[in-house]
Amino acid sequence: MREIFTMWRHTQMVVLTALSAAIYAATLIPTQFLPIIPGFTNVRPANVFPFVFGLLFGPAGAWGAAIGNLINDFFGTLGPGSIGGFIGNFFLGYIPYKIWSSFFRRGEDIEPNVATRKKLLVFGAIVVLASIVCADWIAWFNDALGLVPFAALGSIIAVNNALAGLILGPIFMVLLYPRVKRWGLLWTEIMPADEVSAPRLPRLGNVLLWIGGVGGFVVGLAIGLGVYDQGFAAAGFASGGAQGIGIGAGLVPFLILIVVGSLLLGGREQVEAAGEEGGELGPVRPSRVR
Amino acid sequence: MDPFLYLDRGTIVHRLDPRTKMILLLGAFVLAFVFPSPAYGVVVLALVLLAGWLARALSNLRRIWFVLLMIAIVTTVLWSIFGSGRTPLFWFVKEEALLYGLGVACKLDTMIIAGMIFLSTTRNEEIANGLVRVGVPYRFAFAVSTAIRLVPTILATGATISQAQRSRGLDLDSGSILQRVRKRLPLLVPVFVSTIRSTNVFSMALESKGFGAGERRTYFMQFSMGRRDAFALAVLALVLAAAFALRIMGHGGIEGFSR
Repeated sequence: MREIFTMWRHTQMVVLTALSAAIYAATLIPTQFLPIIPGFTNVRPANVFPFVFGLLFGPAGAWGAAIGNLINDFFGTLGPGSIGGFIGNFFLGYIPYKIWSSFFRRGEDIEPNVATRKKLLVFGAIVVLASIVCADWIAWFNDALGLVPFAALGSIIAVNNALAGLILGPIFMVLLYPRVKRWGLLWTEIMPADEVSAPRLPRLGNVLLWIGGVGGFVVGLAIGLGVYDQGFAAAGFASGGAQGIGIGAGLVPFLILIVVGSLLLGGREQVEAAGEEGGELGPVRPSRVR
Repeated sequence: MDPFLYLDRGTIVHRLDPRTKMILLLGAFVLAFVFPSPAYGVVVLALVLLAGWLARALSNLRRIWFVLLMIAIVTTVLWSIFGSGRTPLFWFVKEEALLYGLGVACKLDTMIIAGMIFLSTTRNEEIANGLVRVGVPYRFAFAVSTAIRLVPTILATGATISQAQRSRGLDLDSGSILQRVRKRLPLLVPVFVSTIRSTNVFSMALESKGFGAGERRTYFMQFSMGRRDAFALAVLALVLAAAFALRIMGHGGIEGFSR
């Protein structure tokens, strides 16, 4: 997680954050007129950008997704729900670059592109996972505040995000990756390895993210739809009038798993791999402020 | 059309320090959450609308009225379905669930209108400056304000490309929504690519002007908290205290509602 703070030292990463946020917001705004749950969520083809920018620009893509979604709210729907949107969209861009290398064996090509069938499959899996995690955060936050029921919002956000990423993601990756690489704008070429967190237990982190993301989503739906009343899912939750507390508290362990899982993942190995590919001198490091 | 909500008017609300406006916005959010009951929610909404009238910002309601209406309808319907209560109203809908839905609709509309008033009375530069002054790191605030400023540029570039292609005979307006989205996406690719390409030039321009050269920055725009800020914050404190007191005394709740 270190790199999400250290990236602010690099002017290029700051600019990439601003540009990704601007592109994301500018593409979200025109589709506000295509509502799914009017006022809460709409058809969002722009949701492809957090995945693509996350993979290519790393932490700058994650911050860009969070800020871009907030700016979209500035055009008419700014409210406490925007905080949940900020966190959820941050994870939408954060998970792709964090988890990417944990799908590959040591020595395998981990360049963030979709050039092989395996990489394409990994990209698809990451899109699905990040979409669910984003839905968990936003729907949990809104339900905990008593604004929108988890079951109504969570499923729509997850499907909406995943569709955009699965359909448009590979196309944008093919279009953007070679150009971004040529211009030296991949995050692994901008940030030095010592400013990026090293992987601790990447495989375990990967598994925890899936358990936290998918598990939280399933449990959230179960509590929201009242399935917990029927059997084992009721364990630990008060019934009846306290169901609101059930969603608010019931999802917390899963959200913690998501954070812990992402802490176990690294990112440094991607920077080091990019350095090796760039030759003995490594990639050209642009200026670093401070 | 200007996508931003800011209205350049010299009202007392416009002249408040951006930090005061941020606190007022936060206060409005808190106030909206105090009462689940729609009857009390309407009073809070009226207070926020009064602030909007003082700020001469209510003309922006024309731009978001549809969103507000849809939120009100959808929220009421959703909570009527997902909520529960004691008193049957019709079919499976309970009176308490409907009341709760109306209360949440009121709450959401109040918060969105409060956000609208904030954005109608605060310039982007003031938001960025205010963020820095409440402790947000400058680089983060810079990224936010730069992104906000770039949005209209990107939208305008996209519109120019669309018009250029239309003048060459490309039909962008026929077909289903999905077909129209599909036709527009390829036109947007050059916009994204050229925007990303400008990163290095942008970074060099910033650094040549001393971006990040010193720890502490100075600002052209100077703000200070004055008497009117103190007055506005005192009014907010009083209203919040009264609201909490009412709630503690048992007013403004919905008896029998469960989720």
